[in-house]
Amino acid sequence: MMEGPQLSWYLVLSAILFTIGVVGVIIKRNVIAMFMCIELMLNAVNLTFVAFSSFFRDVTGQLFVFIVMTVAAAEAAVGLGIIIAIFRNRESLNVDEASILKL
Amino acid sequence: MVNSILFILFGGLGIGCALAVVAQRNPLYSAISLIGVFISLSSLYLTLAAPFIAAVQVIVYAGAIMVLVVFVIMLLNVEAEERRRARMAFLIPVAVLLAAIFIGEVAFILKAVNFDVPLVTSDVGTTKSIGIGLFTTYLLPFEITSILLLMALVGAMTLARRAVILTSVSRLMSGPYVPPEEIEEPLVERTEERSL
Repeated sequence: MMEGPQLSWYLVLSAILFTIGVVGVIIKRNVIAMFMCIELMLNAVNLTFVAFSSFFRDVTGQLFVFIVMTVAAAEAAVGLGIIIAIFRNRESLNVDEASILKL
Repeated sequence: MVNSILFILFGGLGIGCALAVVAQRNPLYSAISLIGVFISLSSLYLTLAAPFIAAVQVIVYAGAIMVLVVFVIMLLNVEAEERRRARMAFLIPVAVLLAAIFIGEVAFILKAVNFDVPLVTSDVGTTKSIGIGLFTTYLLPFEITSILLLMALVGAMTLARRAVILTSVSRLMSGPYVPPEEIEEPLVERTEERSL
């Protein structure tokens, strides 16, 4: 009766993961924790891409996932550089301390 | 059938680890939970017959990005987030209710639209088909991605480097060595001015 997971299962799982990531970005005060929640949201979108790609037998979605991963790696490098700069200037990673965008 | 069991297993593991990412107060525990999310998503990619993306997920995300994040957490000596005073605490049950309604709506719509198609085995997820797509049709995005990586490299080095301020006395001159305390304009003034 059960013939394997359907496409909608993957989409619902992806929506749940994305929502958890959004909630994390909103309620977290630590810059690194917010950064990790953004990574979580990117991964939820990646799951959607791969699910559509596999179910509709089109390789484009998986190529896009590859590019999203590259963008995530670039974002990690630049974002962590910014985090180090913030910590060096403010001795804190709380985003409330850095609400004014000047040194 | 096996795929369904694997989906429920790794989907549940992924949701649990994602909740742990948000719930943990120590960023290091959040990072470890996030690695759990990545591993379970990689297993889900395997159930979707996408072995290349599954491998890249583990190598790039769990291997490279999370090592970078954990390195920064260790480097910066991050303290655990203290519990904040809850303002407007009466909104929390409302928020939970609205989230439940939202997820229910999404599930209902996906159920009602019913565009489920059967997953048949194909060679879409193999390294060969991805490589062919990446180097023929999507060659331009691939090259743009490499430029993006170069920009990220330069940008990260520029951001993380400690700024060196060259004052008027710090130029190179020939002559005897002058110890720093004998220079009339010490560098300390400029750095103090900068930290204000």
